Amino acid sequence: MLKINNIEVFYHEVILALKGISLEVPTGGVVALLGANGAGKSTTLKAISGLLRHENGKVAQGSIEFLGERIDHRSAEEIARMGIVQVIEGRRVFEHLTVEQNLKVGAHLRGNGATIRNGLEAVYRYFPRLRERRNVVAGFISGGEQQMTVIGRALMTGPKLLLLDEPSMGLAPLLIKEIFEIITRLYQEEKISILLVEQNAKLALAVAQHAYVLESGRVVMDGPSEQLRENPDIRDFYLGLTDLGARKSFRAVKHYKRRKRWIT
Amino acid sequence: METFLQLIITGILVGSIYALVALGWTIIYKCSGVLNLAMGELTLLGAYVCLAFYTWGFPFPVALLATLVVGFVLGLLTERLFLRRMIGQPVLAVIMITAGLSFFFRAVVGFIWGTDTRVFTPQVFPTEPVRFGKMVLGQVYIWSFLAALVLLVIFVAFFQYSRWGLSMQATADDEMAALSLGVSAKRVYALAWAIAFMAAGVGGTLLGNINGLNISVGHLGILVLPAVVLGGLNSVPGAIVGGIVIGILQNLSGGYLEQLTPGGVKEIAPFVFMVIIMLFRPYGLWGWEKIERV
Ligand SMILES: Nc1ncnc2c1ncn2[C@@H]1O[C@H](COP(=O)(O)OP(=O)(O)OP(=O)(O)O)[C@@H](O)[C@H]1O
Ligand SMILES: [Mg+2]
Repeated sequence: MLKINNIEVFYHEVILALKGISLEVPTGGVVALLGANGAGKSTTLKAISGLLRHENGKVAQGSIEFLGERIDHRSAEEIARMGIVQVIEGRRVFEHLTVEQNLKVGAHLRGNGATIRNGLEAVYRYFPRLRERRNVVAGFISGGEQQMTVIGRALMTGPKLLLLDEPSMGLAPLLIKEIFEIITRLYQEEKISILLVEQNAKLALAVAQHAYVLESGRVVMDGPSEQLRENPDIRDFYLGLTDLGARKSFRAVKHYKRRKRWIT
Repeated sequence: METFLQLIITGILVGSIYALVALGWTIIYKCSGVLNLAMGELTLLGAYVCLAFYTWGFPFPVALLATLVVGFVLGLLTERLFLRRMIGQPVLAVIMITAGLSFFFRAVVGFIWGTDTRVFTPQVFPTEPVRFGKMVLGQVYIWSFLAALVLLVIFVAFFQYSRWGLSMQATADDEMAALSLGVSAKRVYALAWAIAFMAAGVGGTLLGNINGLNISVGHLGILVLPAVVLGGLNSVPGAIVGGIVIGILQNLSGGYLEQLTPGGVKEIAPFVFMVIIMLFRPYGLWGWEKIERV
């Protein structure tokens, strides 16, 4: 479904963020993208969704194909129209809109009333909590609910490929579990293909069938999830199964930005 | 007491016109972060367009509708021709472009319509004043208020319920997230300009009906700035309330302080008020600060 062929990405014409990355997402599959801070995970997603150019970034080499068409020179709007949606890291809800209005903006490209109503129903079925909170301004709901809102909002676009950037970031373990169960259901029931960026490798390898490991802009390893789970390096650095403490330090670096919540 | 009440009520009526223009400022600022220094000239242009339609013999409501349509088109055009290429450039540069636009539009108006004061002839609204008890209100104020009110309600409903209205608010909140959902920022900016043109045009027209129409209607743009700042620059309800507050303030200072001074209090009072408010509430009464991300 998605095929990235040896792309190089520059920011501001000079900062080389991706140094030749190739990866593939099969139709109906879940693929995980692992890596430490600054490895280039988000940059990869932005290159796919076309948001890159709005951060003054550019795909300088290689190609990105979606359903057989090249998309690396298309605008974010065109790419969204083709059925790719990125959930940006950091739970970026529209803070002054209600939960339901947030979801409605997700249906921006789909227009008519019936599609929106059905879309809302579907989202509320996956996230019953959002139905209760539908009329609350999104800046005031909890972090978990905000994560649900941004995933629900992405679903409202009717995507074929969902790019999820660190959905577990800064959430309590119980909530993370809930969100990952829903992600699993999304590809099983809705047949949405998913490219999942995570620092929580354990979780990611549990849902994904295949995973890639990025390190400073390069793919350093890839394979089926079971295989990676057994790999000693992965066990050391990403699963924290030895006492190197590496995972702890990744966590510490991870900038979880607390949001100021004040409105009107 | 009657004078006081009368001043307050007239203030609210005129304030509703200010609210329209303030909304124009706000919507552009909110969506694109640009302070549009040509706001006054948009009111001027709109007012003259309406006058033109009216003098050609169209009934006033039709002329007003035509002004809205022309304003919409001019807004899209202005954004496309002058501001589109500035996307991604420093905000200050864009603001300078709007300063340039203000001179440009002013020249266009002077070139086409001259600088003499024009009035809507025949009078659009009946001149017979209406009495409520001891209060006397000109009909032109009442009708202007109603027209402004209808338009404000339509705009607010548009922002709250329509697809593009919501997408505009979304872009104001988080442009990147809106882009990720396929909302075109370019179209949002264009729409913001179109709406600003429409609101300003109607505001200018109504004011032109009250005071007569000449270049000075363009001062309305700057006059309303305190209302916008007061409302917090990016809050639509704030702009509306701010506009009305400025209307009242202006009337009260005109009524009570004018005879004590050589004149001009009416024009200055809103700015004095703005400075005082800014001292205590730098983000205005309803403004929200954009949440900064490192
Ligand atoms: N807008 C930008 N301008 C310049 N450089 C950038 C920009 N965004 C990212 N980079 C750089 O590109 C590299 C990859 O960043 P990216 O955000 O893709 O990392 P990441 O793997 O998502 O990390 P994290 O886990 O912290 O989210 C980093 O070195 C970063 O400094
Ligand atoms: Mg990232």
